[in-house]
Amino acid sequence: MIFQTKIYKSASSYSAFTLLKESFSGYRESFYLARQLAKRDIRAQYRQSILGIFWAFAPVLMSASVWIFLNLTGTIQVSKTPIPYPLFVVIGTTLWSVFGECLLMSISSVNANKSIITKINFQKEALVTLGAIKLLFNLLIKLALIIGLMLVYNMPVSLSVIWFIPLLLISMLALISVGIFLTPFAILYHDITRVIPIIMQILMYLTPVVYAAPKSGFMKSIMYLNPLTHIINGLRNTLTGYPVEHGFFLLIFALCTILFSLLAMIVYRISMPIITERMSA
Amino acid sequence: MNEEVLIKVESVSKKFSKDLKKSLYFGLLDVFSGVIGSTKKRELRGDEFWAVKEVCFEVKRGECLGLIGHNGAGKSTLLKMLNGLILPDAGSVTMKGKVGALIELGAGFNPILTGRENIYNNAAVIGFTKKEIDAKFDSIIEFSEIGEFLDMPVQNYSSGMKVRLGFAIAAQMEPDILIIDEVLAVGDLGFKIKCMNRIQELLKKTAFIFVSHAMTQISTICTNLILMDHGKVEYNGNDIGIGIEQYFLKFKNTEQQIISSSNISLKSIELKGNDSVKKNELSIFSGDSLTVIFELALEKGIENLKFRLGIFNLEYRLLAEVDSEQVDFTASNKNGIVKVSVVVEKLFLRNGKYNLHLHVMNRDSKQIMLRQSNVAEFFVKPTLSVGADFLLPSKWSDANE
Repeated sequence: MIFQTKIYKSASSYSAFTLLKESFSGYRESFYLARQLAKRDIRAQYRQSILGIFWAFAPVLMSASVWIFLNLTGTIQVSKTPIPYPLFVVIGTTLWSVFGECLLMSISSVNANKSIITKINFQKEALVTLGAIKLLFNLLIKLALIIGLMLVYNMPVSLSVIWFIPLLLISMLALISVGIFLTPFAILYHDITRVIPIIMQILMYLTPVVYAAPKSGFMKSIMYLNPLTHIINGLRNTLTGYPVEHGFFLLIFALCTILFSLLAMIVYRISMPIITERMSA
Repeated sequence: MNEEVLIKVESVSKKFSKDLKKSLYFGLLDVFSGVIGSTKKRELRGDEFWAVKEVCFEVKRGECLGLIGHNGAGKSTLLKMLNGLILPDAGSVTMKGKVGALIELGAGFNPILTGRENIYNNAAVIGFTKKEIDAKFDSIIEFSEIGEFLDMPVQNYSSGMKVRLGFAIAAQMEPDILIIDEVLAVGDLGFKIKCMNRIQELLKKTAFIFVSHAMTQISTICTNLILMDHGKVEYNGNDIGIGIEQYFLKFKNTEQQIISSSNISLKSIELKGNDSVKKNELSIFSGDSLTVIFELALEKGIENLKFRLGIFNLEYRLLAEVDSEQVDFTASNKNGIVKVSVVVEKLFLRNGKYNLHLHVMNRDSKQIMLRQSNVAEFFVKPTLSVGADFLLPSKWSDANE
């Protein structure tokens, strides 16, 4: 058995590189724990439910059908979409709901496990992994919905679909990193948890989620400047066989995401003991 | 092997803020200064105070350190730092080897899931790998004695059963350092004995830190003792008795509760020791006699009274009583004054501070007339340090023929 020596000192006495190394080994060591807890949460969630996984995509389906209804009845005229409008909306809202979940993932994961954080010494990175596993589980259910709908509309599958998974993962990583970065602040001040859904709602209307970007006008320039536009369009295009626009932007985005995720890991590592002090059991 | 120092705590300090808003704000500042790697010395800000201040100690393998102190003395904060949950603001903690902390049992249980499923959850949380859990699964079930309820949701378990299951899992740990924070207060007697046996087993191989308010447990298990008060160490040594006494003296218990049914009151009370000198604060040696003389004012004519004196220790436990009915004694009432002297012989109490409580009962009407607590107190001077309440006289001889 390895005889481990641990030294606890005030947080300021560690270098960023050490922290990053510790964080990585934290993820590695705690993987079994994260998987076990994810299994626990998913089981418990579905055991006390009749409709089960229906609730994973019900909200998405609801908001999508509202927009489809508004469009069909002519209440709201949206710009013409390259793919059938219902498919456009369902893909858009699904991806958007995944983004929202990513952003709030680590905050809710830490909040839900406060009782063990304040009592037990374990690698806190497990909570991020735990959230990510649950997220992927929900994602699979939602992707199944999209694939089903694409079959209904007889969408052709092109080679560009192989870009869909990496692009989706990198965008999820970006939002998860923002969430991790915000976690210590959100645990201290609950305002952040409240404001995130509001911001996400506003952003949704500034991003081609339920409608495509107009060909001209003020909204066009806003959407063009909004990086999320290119991400969600890129995702939708790769999935439905259209070429990716703004490839260079997406590359820069991927690089920035990786750098930012490292920063988020360091911030998380530093802040967990500090916020543990200020948590109630 | 037995000389290795496994726990080394060097002038560790931790501060807390009293105000929530400020505490949150300081937390925010701490996150920032942590991220930019500020090495500035941490001073008190605003309404902060030292929850733990410059604590130093070492624990070797095979030793057991008892940690006592009143509520809020900083014990739990210190434990959290030892366990690495929070980091010290100054000083350092060095922990060598695998740490097992029994601060909460059954952490990570989900109430909806069955006991069987939750064994895996809790075991994973306290640091077991899948392989280890599989290997120890049967002994966990056996130790917990949950039996047929293993496949019932944990939310239907009684609190005792939950603790049983939690301890059964934690007991499978083979730590080098064991930290226990008053978790053994629940569970029935049989289970408590089982827990203590398991802990005794671990005791030999570990450096052990034990927090408890139960002084009997402290004095039977611990080899060293730290008494904390307001974050500071007040006593650190291996004479457990002295440390415990110092702790008890912190509690002032001079308030008197009087319950009386008729016009009766205690007018005076005095104590005498062996040397027959009255003192305000009487100190006697273990094995000495104690004379109590008290005067009661009551209605004329009431004569057939029964008296009882109870001796309480500082833990507020009734240790011994003397009763006038045992020798069929009745006192005379002279114009509404009853004066009684009683000699309590050979008090083989261990050293410490004791309180006397007085009961007066009317033997005719069977009514309790007076019940008064803390009527007087006395000290028993330290001789031998013992864990039990009494140090009995004994005759020893060589039986070797």
